[in-house]
Amino acid sequence: MKCKTIHKNLIFFLEGDLPEKEEKQIEAHISSCNECSAFAQDLKKTLGIIEKEKTTETNPFFYTRLKARLESQAEPAKVPFWKPVLVNIIQPVFFSILLIAGIYTGFKIATPVQVNTASVHYTSEEIFPYLNEMQSEPIEGFLME
Amino acid sequence: MTEAEIIEKLQNGSEQAFKELVDKYQKLVVNTCFGMLHDKDDAEDVAQDVFIEVFRSVQSFRADSKISTWLYRIAVNRSLNFIRDNKKRKWFQSLDDTVKSKNAIFEKFTSGDSDDADFNLENNQRANVLHEAINSLPENQKVAFSLNKYEDLSYKEISEVMDLSVSSIESLIHRAKKNLQKKLYTCYKKKCI
Repeated sequence: MKCKTIHKNLIFFLEGDLPEKEEKQIEAHISSCNECSAFAQDLKKTLGIIEKEKTTETNPFFYTRLKARLESQAEPAKVPFWKPVLVNIIQPVFFSILLIAGIYTGFKIATPVQVNTASVHYTSEEIFPYLNEMQSEPIEGFLME
Repeated sequence: MTEAEIIEKLQNGSEQAFKELVDKYQKLVVNTCFGMLHDKDDAEDVAQDVFIEVFRSVQSFRADSKISTWLYRIAVNRSLNFIRDNKKRKWFQSLDDTVKSKNAIFEKFTSGDSDDADFNLENNQRANVLHEAINSLPENQKVAFSLNKYEDLSYKEISEVMDLSVSSIESLIHRAKKNLQKKLYTCYKKKCI
């Protein structure tokens, strides 16, 4: 029997699900193959965890906790009569108004201000010194001082 | 009290009957939930939900199946719902596992009995690997395998709980074992324990 075949059927061998003939063949192989024997041991240990995990003791407070939960769920919390109106109507309306106001304000701010510049004429000389201050007061001048 | 008496008294709202039912089936329900969830606290929480559902829906219980079968069904459904609702838990679980293994390593170095600590650490790692392998199984295979392994139910009993034929259960458990072996072999090859 090849190791590959053993690996495919090892779990069934450990669980005792195989026919006797196949079981003996695997047993014989495992006793002579270190690799398969090591994997068999490892698999057996891992599957053995299930047995250790099974609950054998009961939680003594289980019923007390359960009863407390049942009682707390049995009494529905008293909701003030105005709460559903607040939650379902007033709150959404308030936030919608807030949202619309926000959008409106945003549009207002973003609109460019229309300035009537038609009657005002600047010559390039008039604007030049204002825009190009550095030329009239060069930085080298400051550094020299 | 027989099963029929418990049900009859429960339907009449008897608290004593409810207590008796909980005492009698607590282990069964917690173990079933644990087999699916692999966490003791979660299993107890879900087990409580199971008993609450039983208490609320006992009027609709028909005596054509056993109480235990009914409890298994509710426990399995509740556990599967819990898993679906808590997919985010996976991330926290992995974080928690990392912390747990770090704690285990810390305990190993701080405790005097290093052999014992080694043993516990190895067992924890094995349990994590096994849980991961079981969790990765398809839902039906996981349910059938867990009921068979954690509750020692026969194929016939599982077929009643899952409402499937015995041959379907056989096939599900066979495939579950094959898949588990494949995953555990990969882990063994990678030396993750």
